[in-house]
Amino acid sequence: MIAFVSDAQLLALARGGDDRAFGALVDRYEPAVAATVIGMLGRGDEADDVGQETFIRFHRSLHKFRGESSLKTYLVHIAINLSINALRRRRRMLLRFVSQDDTTMDAPEPRLGPAGELDVTELQAVVQDAVARLSEKHRAVVVLRLFHESSTRETAQMLGVPEGTVLSRLSRAMKELEAQLAPYVKSGAALPEMIR
Amino acid sequence: MTHRPTRPPFAADDRPTDDPLALLVRAAAPRAFSSGFRDRVLAGIGARREASLGSALERQFIRIVPIAAAVTLLLAGYNWWGGRQTAASPLDAALNLPGVTLAAAYAPAQLFGATIASTVSP
Repeated sequence: MIAFVSDAQLLALARGGDDRAFGALVDRYEPAVAATVIGMLGRGDEADDVGQETFIRFHRSLHKFRGESSLKTYLVHIAINLSINALRRRRRMLLRFVSQDDTTMDAPEPRLGPAGELDVTELQAVVQDAVARLSEKHRAVVVLRLFHESSTRETAQMLGVPEGTVLSRLSRAMKELEAQLAPYVKSGAALPEMIR
Repeated sequence: MTHRPTRPPFAADDRPTDDPLALLVRAAAPRAFSSGFRDRVLAGIGARREASLGSALERQFIRIVPIAAAVTLLLAGYNWWGGRQTAASPLDAALNLPGVTLAAAYAPAQLFGATIASTVSP
């Protein structure tokens, strides 16, 4: 039933203190926030915490949200900033406690099915792992441009960089991804249909 | 050696192309946190709400304390000024305490200006 209620109506109810309406917004935008945060940080407690913090901050600023941008863009903007902050914290911790050599890991070997094929979950894991191996700057561009299908301009605004920088980072990121994922591209062509 | 053409770059302000690699990456986007995410968010909001109520009370308390202290000092000064000649000590004067005498002990109804009739006869 609540699926048919518009964002504006849910926002009005949430502003009035209706937690059920806010919960419906969380359900509606969890995929967008998850794609951003897990795309940037990888799966785990840290990503879960940042995801929660995104919605908690949004709840705190409900009265400030004027609807100048779409709600999805607004939440993705909060999520990407919090993810970048989390990555900075993580980097500081790593610099303090672990040498850079310790952080380099080999790519996990994907498990193949009986006919030597990858199942959807495995293929998703391989792709997500390849994205996680990109540098933070390249990863942020891939997350916004490909996971969210944001335009170059929107991506540039969210990251606070010129549009040309977004394009060059994306181009480099795609080259890196191609090097890692070339064997899977053919099988992955069917992935969108498999997931649907 | 075959030369592979470079992947066409994304145009200046477009949406991602139908490039197979872009499609693969897009399709692999994570879509959900671990189950119960909404409940955790709502619990977090509830916890922050309680914490903010506590800190609001604390702020009010901190605002009231200096005013209460100033009023207390003012009253103490006023009492001391009025009773400095008759009170046994400056503290008694500041607190407006009546002098403890044998007569006062036998006349409880007159203490503190009370008007009730005493049933105790000396």
